[in-house]
Amino acid sequence: MAGASRSFGPVRAVDRIDLTVGDGEFFTLLGPSGCGKTTLLRMIAGFCDLDSGEIRFGEKRIDRLPAHVRDIGMVFQNYAVFPNLSVADNVAYGLRARKTPAGELAKRVEEALALVRLAEYGKRKPHQLSGGQLQRVAIARALVIRPQVLLFDEPLSNLDARLRVSMRAEIRELQKSLGITAIYVTHDQEEAMSVSDRIALMNAGRLEQVGAPADIYRHPASRFAAEFMGTTNLVEARALGREGGLLSLRPEALRLSEEAPEAWPRLAGNVVDLEMLGPITRLGVRLGDGTILNVAILDAPERRLNQADKVTLAYDPARLTVLR
Amino acid sequence: MLAIPHQQRLPIAIAALGLLFLALFLLYPLFNVFGASFLDSEGGALTLGNYAKMLGRPFYRQAIINTLGIGIAATLITTLISVPFAFALARLPVVGRAAILALASLPLILPSFVSAYALVLLFGRSGVVTQWLQSMGLGFGSIYGAGGIVVVYVLTLYPYVLLPTVAAFKAVDVSMEEAAQNLGSSPLRTVRTVILPIVLPAILAGALLVFIETLENFGVPFVLAEDMPIFAVEAFKLFIGETSPNPSSAGVLGVLLILMTAAVLVVQRHFLASRRFATNARRTPPLLNVGRGVQAASSLYCWAIVILALVPFFAIVVLSFMEFRGPVLHGHFSLDNFAPLLGRASRPFFNTLIFATAAAACATLVGVPIGYVVARQRNGMATLLDVVATLPFAVAGTVLAIGFIVSFNSGPLMLTGGPLILVLAYTVRKVPFTVRSASAIVHQIDGSLEEASISLGRPPLQTFLRIVVPLMLGGILSGAVLTWVTVASELSATIVLYSGPWSTLTVVMFQSLESGGAGVATAAASILILVSIVPIALLYRLVRRYGLD
Ligand SMILES: Nc1ncnc2c1ncn2[C@@H]1O[C@H](COP(=O)(O)OP(=O)(O)OP(=O)(O)O)[C@@H](O)[C@H]1O
Ligand SMILES: [Mg+2]
Repeated sequence: MAGASRSFGPVRAVDRIDLTVGDGEFFTLLGPSGCGKTTLLRMIAGFCDLDSGEIRFGEKRIDRLPAHVRDIGMVFQNYAVFPNLSVADNVAYGLRARKTPAGELAKRVEEALALVRLAEYGKRKPHQLSGGQLQRVAIARALVIRPQVLLFDEPLSNLDARLRVSMRAEIRELQKSLGITAIYVTHDQEEAMSVSDRIALMNAGRLEQVGAPADIYRHPASRFAAEFMGTTNLVEARALGREGGLLSLRPEALRLSEEAPEAWPRLAGNVVDLEMLGPITRLGVRLGDGTILNVAILDAPERRLNQADKVTLAYDPARLTVLR
Repeated sequence: MLAIPHQQRLPIAIAALGLLFLALFLLYPLFNVFGASFLDSEGGALTLGNYAKMLGRPFYRQAIINTLGIGIAATLITTLISVPFAFALARLPVVGRAAILALASLPLILPSFVSAYALVLLFGRSGVVTQWLQSMGLGFGSIYGAGGIVVVYVLTLYPYVLLPTVAAFKAVDVSMEEAAQNLGSSPLRTVRTVILPIVLPAILAGALLVFIETLENFGVPFVLAEDMPIFAVEAFKLFIGETSPNPSSAGVLGVLLILMTAAVLVVQRHFLASRRFATNARRTPPLLNVGRGVQAASSLYCWAIVILALVPFFAIVVLSFMEFRGPVLHGHFSLDNFAPLLGRASRPFFNTLIFATAAAACATLVGVPIGYVVARQRNGMATLLDVVATLPFAVAGTVLAIGFIVSFNSGPLMLTGGPLILVLAYTVRKVPFTVRSASAIVHQIDGSLEEASISLGRPPLQTFLRIVVPLMLGGILSGAVLTWVTVASELSATIVLYSGPWSTLTVVMFQSLESGGAGVATAAASILILVSIVPIALLYRLVRRYGLD
């Protein structure tokens, strides 16, 4: 994708985006609401025209092709399972459009349903299925046509929290075992980290940063990236007694002095906030100059900490990120 | 074609075809009516003289006053009667609510001029009841003129206000009422500040519909007005009596009528667009706890209106099985009235069925794709299509028919004298309804279903036919049946356009009204009533059986 842009009136929904997604890659578009993820996805699918720029599959330019010949599988947020067709007919829909012979069609539908663990459900009507099952029908329906790319637009956001976690693992596994290229849209940072090979972080129609999940998390290129990828401490270098501008320091890169390696620099402060969350404890510590640092430490039964206690913190200098 | 984005091609093609159809069979005839009103009687020179001439005559000024006066009176009375009715149905423990609701929608499908005609048969100069009372030495005032017309309008048009208002009363979320009361609002204040703002738009929308219907109605004043001038009737009489090549006088009345209805529509659009109170009532409000007295009184009130509105139709069916000699009734049971209609002269009966079927099919074919585009697209093209497709609603049948005659009586599209002109006129008149009902259904179909289908390899047209149409089926079917039923009892355009062998049941009624053959008229009316109710009942069963709603 090169220079892809699209405006709606004054809103630049997608603004000069260049991207290359590798074969078989699980690629995620991540960003806050309204940043243009859906628009970008719909450009690839052919439901939204480009004002400028181009999209290619390999060598072949596709952004001028009508949507129905692009050979793309799409999974929608609200499933979009055809309510008037049975589960099997839903899955067979794309094959029928391709005039697949009856024998092969039946076989492939069966395989696809088995793949999403719905082998017994072919005869059912969509209204007899749960949300998770509907989403699996939608996935089977998109997979069965063996598309060049599989697009997901927030496929899990209508499911409850527990199901979301198991479904995302399932999607990831399926994608890897079939070796299919997937582009996945979400605004949930944790979901993006758990499934993706690479993430493209978007903000207001622009690409903020592209990279492997761990890379973006550990080495955010901007303040937006640092904050969006998880809780972080944005501190002026001076507060830590260093040179440079704004720094990002993740809460888990901080420890109590007595639990930290010798080589880590120390900081003194007072506990102003204390939250016990089970496996980890969150602290808010105010430093001498008033800066408050978020700290996340693993639970330790022998430790005694109270509000207003004086504590000495240590931080891992390797995990400081200098932001522009 | 290449410049048009792919996903826009189907909507643009539909819009282009739709606009072409409406331009030819709606805008062109209307343009000709306008034209006729601005040309002299030879059709040669442009002039404003026709307007000066018509408006200069007290007779036609009186027609304007009568039409508006009757319309306003009927609208006010209908509203005053229907709002308490609606409140009772929505919030009071009225006995037999489901039955009342079903019976209350019947007047919408029954032809109103049949009700007017029944009134004449019962209470007219030589009416059954009149003669009976006279034999006992009793008399009562005349039903002819404004009073009778208003009564018939109220009894046949009240569902237009009642049904949306019931829905609105039910759409008030209880939590809003409770919230208002929690905040210390008295019940009356709650009604004023919470309930009325939600219900008022529904009442107004219904009332304006009633008003427009009264302005356009031809059959009821034709039966009851006698020598009182009413717009739609005078336009018809002028047109029929016109001898000069250019129907300038009828044109003037037609234009004035269109302006009146269009003004009401504009008011409605403007007023209602700015105050739409969508509430998503999760809990419909409970029935109020009232004593037995209130329950009895409200039940009586509701049943009285419902029954009163249906009595004329019932009476006509009963009368149609009695023996008439000319206009005079004899109290014996007889099937003679039906004999000609179903035997020797059965053409009108079959014409009615054929025309209604053809028009329902055409209006569906034209209206459903237009409704789809209007619902799915948000651009100038869709707005234009919406406005043009709503326009027939503001055009009285008489006026459209006059436009048809002027436009299609010569040249390559010579339609006068045949059946097609009737079917086309019906189609144009019913398009607003099929468009509305289709777009309402499309709004409920998630657009991502279509995108899913397209991305699976079905081009837009196939997607429309395979996914959208099946999902709309229940609604399309209901719309088609309603069209069928209302076309079967269409009078105002038919009476101008029919010719020779192409008369319908309504024409038979109309002619026997003029010639005094009451027997055939009652039989025709009975058949019309049957033809209206049976398809609706069948549809209702079908929809419930197959869960098509
Ligand atoms: N059809 C449209 N007409 C006008 N504006 C649009 C249209 N579609 C999107 N936009 C605007 O473009 C911007 C990007 O929208 P988009 O739907 O791509 O965001 P998103 O990142 O998918 O957000 P979300 O996470 O809420 O789904 C928004 O400001 C939106 O209001
Ligand atoms: Mg989105």
